[in-house]
Amino acid sequence: MTAIPGQIVITTRRQSVPLGQYLVAGSVALFLLLFLVIPVVTVVIVAFVDPQSGGFTLVNFADFVRNDLFMRSFWNSVYVSAMAVAWGTVFALPLAYITSRFQFRGAVLIQTLGVIPLIMPPFAGAVAMQLLFGRNGSVNLLLGDGFDINIPFMEGLNGVILLQAIHYFPFILLNVSASLANIDRAMEESAQNLGSSGFRLFSKIVFPLAMPGYVAGASLVFIKVFDDLATPLLLNVKDMLAPQAYLRITSIGLADPMGYVISVVLIVVSMIAMWIATMATRGRDYATVQRGGGGLAKREMKGADKIIAYGVVFLILALTLAPHVGLILLSLATVWSFSPVPDGYTMAHYGKVFAESPQFIWNTLLYATLAGVISVIIGSAIAWLVQRTRIPGRMLLDYLAMGALAMPGVVIGIGYLRTYYGVTLPSGQSLATFWFMIVIALAVRRLPYALRACTAGLQQVSPQLEEAAENLGATKARTIRKILLPLMAGGMLAGFVTAFATASVELSATMMLVQNTSDAPLAYGLYVYMQSPAGRGPGAALGMIAVVIVGLCTYLSHWLLDRERSGGVKP
Amino acid sequence: MIDRRLVLAAVAALSVATAGSAAFAQVPSGKVTVVTSFSKDVTDPYKKAFEAAFPGTTLEVQNRNTNAGVRFVQETKANNQVDLFWASAPDAFEVLKRSSLLQAHKPVAPGIPAKLGPYNINDPDGMFFGCAASGYGIMWNERYTRANRLPDPKEWADLGKAVYHDHVMITTPSRSGTTHLTVETILQGEGWEKGWATLKAMSGNMRSVTDRSFGVPDAVNSGQVGLGVVIDFFAFSARAANFPVKFVYPSVSTIVPANVGIIANAPNPAGARAFVDFILSDAGQELLLMPAISRLPVNPAIYAKAPEGYPNPFKGAIGLPGFQFDVSISERRYAAVDVLFDQLITFNLEPLKAVTKAMHEVETRLAKRDNPAARVLLAEARALISTMPVTAAQAASDEVRASFQGSTPQAKAPRQAELEQQWSSFAKEKYAAAATKVADAAKLVP
Amino acid sequence: MSIEAATRAKASGVLVEDVNLSYGATHVLKSINLEVHPGEFFAFLGPSGCGKTTLLRLIAGFNIAQSGRVKIGGEDISTLPPWKRDVGMVFQSYALWPHMSVAKNVAFGLEERKLPKAEIDRRVTAALDLVSLGHLADRRPSQLSGGQQQRVAVARTVVIEPKVLLLDEPLSNLDARMRVQVRRELRDLQQRLGLTTIFVTHDQEEANTICDRVAVMNDGIIQQVGTPMELYEKPTNLFVAGFLGAANIVEGEIVSSGSEHVFRLGENIQFPLPSGVKPGSGAKLVFRPQHCRFQVNGAVNNGPAGRVVHREFLGAVVRYSVSVGAHEIIVETPFESGDALVETETEVGLWIAPDRLRLLVN
Repeated sequence: MTAIPGQIVITTRRQSVPLGQYLVAGSVALFLLLFLVIPVVTVVIVAFVDPQSGGFTLVNFADFVRNDLFMRSFWNSVYVSAMAVAWGTVFALPLAYITSRFQFRGAVLIQTLGVIPLIMPPFAGAVAMQLLFGRNGSVNLLLGDGFDINIPFMEGLNGVILLQAIHYFPFILLNVSASLANIDRAMEESAQNLGSSGFRLFSKIVFPLAMPGYVAGASLVFIKVFDDLATPLLLNVKDMLAPQAYLRITSIGLADPMGYVISVVLIVVSMIAMWIATMATRGRDYATVQRGGGGLAKREMKGADKIIAYGVVFLILALTLAPHVGLILLSLATVWSFSPVPDGYTMAHYGKVFAESPQFIWNTLLYATLAGVISVIIGSAIAWLVQRTRIPGRMLLDYLAMGALAMPGVVIGIGYLRTYYGVTLPSGQSLATFWFMIVIALAVRRLPYALRACTAGLQQVSPQLEEAAENLGATKARTIRKILLPLMAGGMLAGFVTAFATASVELSATMMLVQNTSDAPLAYGLYVYMQSPAGRGPGAALGMIAVVIVGLCTYLSHWLLDRERSGGVKP
Repeated sequence: MIDRRLVLAAVAALSVATAGSAAFAQVPSGKVTVVTSFSKDVTDPYKKAFEAAFPGTTLEVQNRNTNAGVRFVQETKANNQVDLFWASAPDAFEVLKRSSLLQAHKPVAPGIPAKLGPYNINDPDGMFFGCAASGYGIMWNERYTRANRLPDPKEWADLGKAVYHDHVMITTPSRSGTTHLTVETILQGEGWEKGWATLKAMSGNMRSVTDRSFGVPDAVNSGQVGLGVVIDFFAFSARAANFPVKFVYPSVSTIVPANVGIIANAPNPAGARAFVDFILSDAGQELLLMPAISRLPVNPAIYAKAPEGYPNPFKGAIGLPGFQFDVSISERRYAAVDVLFDQLITFNLEPLKAVTKAMHEVETRLAKRDNPAARVLLAEARALISTMPVTAAQAASDEVRASFQGSTPQAKAPRQAELEQQWSSFAKEKYAAAATKVADAAKLVP
Repeated sequence: MSIEAATRAKASGVLVEDVNLSYGATHVLKSINLEVHPGEFFAFLGPSGCGKTTLLRLIAGFNIAQSGRVKIGGEDISTLPPWKRDVGMVFQSYALWPHMSVAKNVAFGLEERKLPKAEIDRRVTAALDLVSLGHLADRRPSQLSGGQQQRVAVARTVVIEPKVLLLDEPLSNLDARMRVQVRRELRDLQQRLGLTTIFVTHDQEEANTICDRVAVMNDGIIQQVGTPMELYEKPTNLFVAGFLGAANIVEGEIVSSGSEHVFRLGENIQFPLPSGVKPGSGAKLVFRPQHCRFQVNGAVNNGPAGRVVHREFLGAVVRYSVSVGAHEIIVETPFESGDALVETETEVGLWIAPDRLRLLVN
């Protein structure tokens, strides 16, 4: 059969057993088993146990379906997730399209700012948005004074939808931007040649071509929103599934299995969402790799179009960065209560944070970096096994790792305690409370992001590039080191940055595992501060520090990668 | 400045106190680990003072909310690394005590009485000890009330008034041991039926029922909600942080103790005992007076050193209920009360609020033009709303208790989720029926 | 030692013995037997999906056969991994590593062989000079034209002085003019290096112009092996006949007409056959368009009559389509200045030299 690039079927069934591959697959499987499967199973197994006989039962799931509150929570979660995807799309598509297809001043800045909302420190987003958009937030206070109206941005499910859409829309932005960058420009040009332009060009050609990226991003948003418990709880929305699970699991004195039943439902729904996304995009990846560089020609905008485009971009950024604007104000505010802006400003909160808790910052840097590195290593190993080997069960590893996306952080936290608390380190400390377990938990929780980025990075490397190396005498291992790793470095870095950035503000699993303040990361410190009236300013300051650190590290890694890439070229 | 002085005083007091008994007591040293729900504002001064009083010790503070803290201690009992549990909610300590996760101790605490009003200060079995008290009350944001032209509240009953509709916030008792105690106090004080009627009337005005204790003062501080049912120190510390908030103890309030207990099998028992004794000593009690902490000492003598106007529950500054609080009743129906509150109120808040609002409107119209038939309908509606799916006896029955104790199966008990569904649909039905009555009443007074 | 001398010394023959390969239920290579001589320029020719690239990748070690052996220079390499085979392959996409400069790409194989730095530098320079790209050593692949990329890919492969050079459709990514130029360069280079070279293509012209021998493949089977001329002149089956150059293929039966045998095509159409042909039931007659002649108005030597239905003027020749009964026969006649062209709809008599007819019995 004749090979077409990209469709080469690679047989790895060598006469000798591919020991190295089995070693890699075995290590990955062991990691997932130890730090994902076993801890989660030990927790959720309760859902299948009959409280009376102790045997297997599905009666708890029947209870779930028969319970109005749970069913209402279920549909609320579905509704909120779907609406968050819809609004996330509204935010993401214009940004992605305008910056990738038109000559636009500040396109890079916009792409960067567009990712910032992902770095939303816990508590901070909800608190800041309430202060800005709540019933008595800045906007409504001003509207009330001026026009005597009050817009319920943050009431009930609306607030959750708005905040989640703002928080997670970068997933759509990133994926669609990547898709758009990979579409052969001839496809759009031929449509223009045939008389298509403007919105029709976008809706009939560009968007369908970018569909795989969109579906990937949208499904990620759906799952994250479906599984997120912190945002609804902070906005006092309790009748959604994830908050119900959390409240059930952490309520003291109660021993019913429903919290775990809900966890199982969360996991199953997330799996289904991922499966639908995979099915929807199967065989529809139209991205083509451009030959010999050149890049896409960007179109010029004129007159009114230009003004509208800048207006739209500005509005979206203003809205999506609102939580961070609110956070800055809060971190500088003396008192901010029932007024459009704070009463006064001070730098004291930053001083307090730096004086009291610099260890939070260092811990966060350390944990998030290690977690990012681990998740990228595991993620690229899985991507490699799936795409480059025929090892049986490789897809299972992929599904398992993606399944981490659907595991509530609380479940993982409790699972680690249950599984590893009895294991003692030589120092006498329990393994579960050793700080490295926080790193592992973060790595497992961020593995899906890293895996997807590594998979995408590897997909862009033609297998022929590796075969060429093997043909010239490089063994598998050396081929990976000298050809594959440098070529997928971009994807791996993207995975690292996403994992690092989101891990640095993660709290849910951390909360269960932090053993002492000196080992605690920044998100935990933020939680501690935010529990007292006087701690609100310092908490916000700590949140801002997190955002700045993550932003700087992201920028730095991009800069490093650029330098690496251009380093070899001599004029 | 006051904190520095207090710390110095504490150190001085302790060095005197320990000088005499040092020969007998095991000298505490090393790391003392405490799991607490208290904020940094509270723990930092204690850490400083304790470490100064016992050189060679470090107080390791693990800040967790009460529920997560209990979970943590339960999940990690196989290899316990925690010395102390320090939190407000007495129920959390009850749970720990029931699971044999606490160890007894006889603190050296002269001057601390056995009772504060109707409540025991210490656990009768000596497993945990009241180390501070707090009174329940109403906190409000002055800017908010001024802007919305709301009168200052004074009594619990005020919160049920039409004017406060959608302006009040409370924590659910299932997530806050202190709220639970308040709810239980109302139920014991007014009786099961009447108590629930009061609670439902109040709750019909709630803007929301939150699951975080700090959620209430947080929302009031920022002005998102006007009034909140809170523990006093939330308001005092908010005032200390210059938020425009005020606080009042209603004429009959409840007192909730803050407790401390030593975890069974504590890795540093000497340190743990020293910390308990330190908290209960005069020096430890005095720290409570710091503005950022603002809790009420359990040692009446300490109030002599308090600033002007500091509420002294021993001298009647907080009106305490005149009945004897029955711990055993509270204990038996603990889970039932939590779940009832959640199913009837927290998760059915929308219909409850809607019918309450409609009743307020009809009442306003009746005030202008009376109509006896409408009043009858309103009374019927009110009766429907306050109907309970279970009696006080049933709530404390073995059958209901078994539903909430998954691990001790009892064949006849319904599963918790089944019971919840029953109660929830009961409430929904009654609220709907009440809404129809109110609508009929509204037709009579156009 | 120069690259030329080294490659000439190392050039080895390739022997493929009874190779079978399946992907699941798809039988891709069926009992392949093949011998490529040392120093030979050999082509695998066939349409898409015929198995030619699979066979090439099998020799390189990227595919593994269920049965059979591959020997290079007499040594059985069937179980060796790709990196131990010493078989150089130029990929269809060239597979130049975008993160390395041209020189680093070329040096890669030598570095893998852990040669001294000076030796590597010398050989990289020599290899780049061989393909006249010495001045572009520091460029990145993305900064080169398609033709230059192709030459880098060749240089990268020959620099390791492989025993066999494999070329996987190396011209398919070039435009028509470049293709002609590059294939000559390839041939020249192969001649200079004396490398055993296997070239995969679907383009018969490419195979014919540069290869010593060609294996025509279809459906996982080697149909015929021979020099381009042998394949053209004496195709052993219909596939080869039809695949190489234009051919008329008509189906009919052989019947005896007195002592002679004729090939009968329908009721009234028959071709005289050379003597010695045995009658049979069904058969296919194959002949080249340039071996047909026709004459306006009237039959030639009992040949069939037909009508011109289409005409293409190609410069040196004129190609006519003549309908004969239900069949259409292509006839090519040389064109000289001043010749008159035959108009369409003209009735003509067809004639085909009997010794040019090839009969393929079913």
